[in-house]
Amino acid sequence: MRTPSQRPSNVKAPPRRLDAGRPNKKLSQGRFAAMLLTPTGVILLALVLVPILFLIVTSFTDFNQASLFTGTFKFKGFAQYVVALKDIEFWKALLRTFIFTAALVIGSLLIGMAVAQMMTKLGTVMRYIVTFVLIFAWAMPNVASSVVWKWLFQPGYGIVNWMLTKLHVFGNMLNVAWSNNTTLAFLCIWMLVIWQAVPYIAITLYAATTQLDQSCLEAAQIDGAGHIRTYWQIVVPLIKPSIMVIAMLSIIWDFNVFNQIWLVSQGGPNGTTSTIGVFTYKKAFVNFDIAQGAAISVITVIILMALTGVYVRNLLKSGEDL
Amino acid sequence: MSETMNVVSRAHVKSGAAMTGAHRRFGWRRCGTNVIALIFCVVWIFPVYWMTVTAFKPRNEIMTTTPAFIPKHWSLVNFYSAIMQTSFLQNLENSVIVTFSAIIISVFLAFLACAALTLYRFRGRRVIMVLILAMQMLPGTALLIPQFIVFNQMGLLNRYIGLILAYIAMVLPFSIWNMRGFFLAIPVDIFESARVEGASEWQILRKITFPLVAPGVVSTSVFAFITAWNDYLTAYTFMRDQAKYTLPVWLSSFTTPAGTDFGGQMAASVLFSLPVVVFFMIVQRNIAKGSTAGAVK
Repeated sequence: MRTPSQRPSNVKAPPRRLDAGRPNKKLSQGRFAAMLLTPTGVILLALVLVPILFLIVTSFTDFNQASLFTGTFKFKGFAQYVVALKDIEFWKALLRTFIFTAALVIGSLLIGMAVAQMMTKLGTVMRYIVTFVLIFAWAMPNVASSVVWKWLFQPGYGIVNWMLTKLHVFGNMLNVAWSNNTTLAFLCIWMLVIWQAVPYIAITLYAATTQLDQSCLEAAQIDGAGHIRTYWQIVVPLIKPSIMVIAMLSIIWDFNVFNQIWLVSQGGPNGTTSTIGVFTYKKAFVNFDIAQGAAISVITVIILMALTGVYVRNLLKSGEDL
Repeated sequence: MSETMNVVSRAHVKSGAAMTGAHRRFGWRRCGTNVIALIFCVVWIFPVYWMTVTAFKPRNEIMTTTPAFIPKHWSLVNFYSAIMQTSFLQNLENSVIVTFSAIIISVFLAFLACAALTLYRFRGRRVIMVLILAMQMLPGTALLIPQFIVFNQMGLLNRYIGLILAYIAMVLPFSIWNMRGFFLAIPVDIFESARVEGASEWQILRKITFPLVAPGVVSTSVFAFITAWNDYLTAYTFMRDQAKYTLPVWLSSFTTPAGTDFGGQMAASVLFSLPVVVFFMIVQRNIAKGSTAGAVK
């Protein structure tokens, strides 16, 4: 489920004047804030920060299946990292992840922008129907949608295979097993992720577009600018801040896509649809080479934190007061 | 930005003739857009439609060489087998226990933390906010591996408590960020006057802040519910016995005594998705509103 929890807040933070009181009162307020924060602090420390440290420590050991039972392991220095960086499969998985992420982000953004623009041109009733449809696709849990996808693309009885055969363009597609072919499996998963990514993008961009000053667009049209030109030269620059936020979040989300790939193709055939997440999971929880999985996870965390850094800088630049 | 736009609009005097021309063109265009919108809707809703229709078809109508877009007979047999011939009820109970425990704890903690992080100023506040944001962006396996090792040592795997702790870690950072906008919307003057009246910080939190951010608490709870309810990876990794599975794991490994049974599987998908879709519909207004206003500054 993609939810825009990290969206910039709608309200500019009003000037905080709570600390303006007498010195002793200020002290007690500070203590009160610390008290409110303590339980969350303890929980996040114990369940997130310490585990991340633990992950880093594990990546320097030879922790494996036997260690799970005996609890013993040896420190190996950077050995796991050397193994990972020398593994051609690791690099392939990383490259695959970048390409797949790019395909997802570009695809969902373009379709989302088109749908948002379409919504601005619709009457009330039709727009409600489109919104309803979008929200339905958005709300579907991705485990359920993955299961549904497998049924839609089922060799033999899948409705998509049947429809493609009826088109008489691709020949007989009835018995095509999508998950047994790298390209088709990626295409299938791409459609699945796009199906659920477009609603958030379309609805957010539609909302951003309706907030624009309509007279500006009318002016451009009276000046003889066509619809397409008006869109790219006036609407897009004006909603660029929203597009940037959505693009950043989409990059992070799509990089982390796991369930859909795992449930549709299991990363197969022969690991050719394994993105870095699936690759790591298989290392750690299928082969139980846990230390190796930890080392790759650390590398992934570094990549994602770099992306998050860019996102946070963007937020701050757009005037968000954290 | 709006100033420039006003200047642009004022510079143009709309003549009547230009408007009627624009209107006529607009009419044709609108018709075309409606057709495109309709096609889009049919394509986009089709997976949901096909799931529902398959779920309500009798067994012999599901696997046919020419698929029936509208079932000839409606039947509840798939729902019967999904509920009665599998461990559905047991897994439902697991899901409910784990999800609700996790969201009650995390939403309560998030409320307190969010109050501290938005209503008071102190050093390190920004660092904490960024840190919490970063926690949401972590890849799935980053927390899964260390949690698995530690919970394994402590004997928490295959038990509710392990999964509840993992879900709190997953949902709490997100809940704090989700509630933040609602806290920032409270006018600060209210607190000032309450303090002048002699209210203690606790009283302010209970009697003023809480009622004001109650909609935010509800919307956050729903999102937290959806996140935990939908989680597949953690439950799949931590819970080894089928009796301990949560619903997503149950759904992904769905088999009935009859073998792979797509009717039953689609009925199972409907049963699993229904609460999520209903809850999502209830709070979606908040998302649209929130992300709208913040987007264009």
